[in-house]
Amino acid sequence: MSKSSLAYKGSVKPIIPGPCSGEVVLVDGHISFFGEIDPEQGCLINLENVCFRDKILIFKGTRGSTVAPYVIYALRRNNIAPRCMLVAEVEPMLIAGCVLAEIPLFIVEKYEELVELVKKIHSRVYLEVCGNVLLLYKKE
Amino acid sequence: MYLTVEQEKMLRGDYGWAIAKAMEIIVRVGEALGAEELVKVEHVHVSGISYSTIGKYGLEFIRELALRAGKANVFTTVNPGCIDYSGLSRIIDDSLAGYQKLIDESLEKMRFKLVYTCIPYFYRPPLPGEHLAWGESSAVIFANSIYGGFTNREGSPVALAASLTGYTYKAGLHLLENRIGRVEVKMPAPLLKVPIGAIGLWIGENIKAIPYIRGLCNISLDEVKNMLASMAASGNHALAVIEGITPRGTFKIELEEQVEVENNVLEDYIGGEYSGDSILGYIGCPHSSPRELLEIWRLMRKYGRIRRGKMLVTIPVEFTKLYRGIILELKARGVDIATGTCPVVSKFREKFDYILTNSGKALFYLERIHRVKVKLARVEEIVKELFGL
Repeated sequence: MSKSSLAYKGSVKPIIPGPCSGEVVLVDGHISFFGEIDPEQGCLINLENVCFRDKILIFKGTRGSTVAPYVIYALRRNNIAPRCMLVAEVEPMLIAGCVLAEIPLFIVEKYEELVELVKKIHSRVYLEVCGNVLLLYKKE
Repeated sequence: MYLTVEQEKMLRGDYGWAIAKAMEIIVRVGEALGAEELVKVEHVHVSGISYSTIGKYGLEFIRELALRAGKANVFTTVNPGCIDYSGLSRIIDDSLAGYQKLIDESLEKMRFKLVYTCIPYFYRPPLPGEHLAWGESSAVIFANSIYGGFTNREGSPVALAASLTGYTYKAGLHLLENRIGRVEVKMPAPLLKVPIGAIGLWIGENIKAIPYIRGLCNISLDEVKNMLASMAASGNHALAVIEGITPRGTFKIELEEQVEVENNVLEDYIGGEYSGDSILGYIGCPHSSPRELLEIWRLMRKYGRIRRGKMLVTIPVEFTKLYRGIILELKARGVDIATGTCPVVSKFREKFDYILTNSGKALFYLERIHRVKVKLARVEEIVKELFGL
């Protein structure tokens, strides 16, 4: 079995606290949950290989329609929601969706730094949040 | 968070399950945003009432609130549904009518005003400084920027919750200290070399702070509406301070950056070249205002009858009564009219090769939802393309 090693340690601000550990899926941009996410598949519509079921979804923030909370809620009810979400910025409708779907939500303090590192690592990346601390591991 | 005695009672369940659930949603979202108290709202606009966009779980959520005695505690309007409510349209699909009816019955039971439009300000224009809880991103940015109303981009369930309680959390754009224009945006010159929706899409994607828009003169309020709606689709803007338009006292200016929008960068936002015979011209995202309807009518009188493809105009349900003469003439000239809905929140009966629209917002969503090629054009160009010889 391959070993994991710590690649990064940073800070997060919990917006909706809760457990958050698992494999990372990165979408380095803003997402409109309505129109850009398929609530039946748990994948990005224009990037079909990017699916986030049971993973940690890292993205910059939300944009677009205020229907987003229902899409997030549908992901949860369809059992294809991400385990938790890490973002650079939050807006009310993302929080509402995560409250409704009971998905932990965190703001990453140094989002750009984290994203650059995740992009550089070619193997799978795992992340764990303990309180305000973010730990990033890579498989060796 | 500080709650009054009445708000505590609501949260505790003294007024029933629906109000307690609604208050719980507002308090939890408010606490996450650091709100210290709630604020009374004068008008709620609920988005996310189309079955096509919210699906079975959204329907369940709304029905449960209605079945468990949820009632509007404040004037509440609703966004478009997924069917044409006047039965005039041959383009909008009605196969989800049964599910939509279940949603509509719940909304009626909760005593919402069933306007089914994304331009609620047509029914009740907000006053400057008035607190609102509006969903529908295009209406939110219009209320804040044009009327000086105070509202966040409320996610659909939060707007519902605000209606049932009459309150929302006091954070974000409910506080003057957060309504600060920080990026001065100079409009391109000449201004309308490309359709205005492209400017909105560009701003939405490239500017993240609240913009202070200058040089937006000699264009109609409908064009401003189109630009704002496009910004709120491709970005997360809820307020743009517009020089000379946004009411004084509802914003501050602390400029940190200056950006000039240039026409050459906008070409990427009008959509690619198109081909195919099955073309749809679409106007009415956000819903057409009476002035836009008159403009389409005037142009069609100039160009005659439709000669290729199909043309769709979407409007609030009530317009069929208010502007019956114009609607009948447009129908007679081959224009498809859909009321209380739009293609963003519904399905088409047929597949189109491409869509020509004046709306940047429609371009953003129709490409993604209907997987169809979309190109931006001015209203006159669309009419000319379909009606011209």
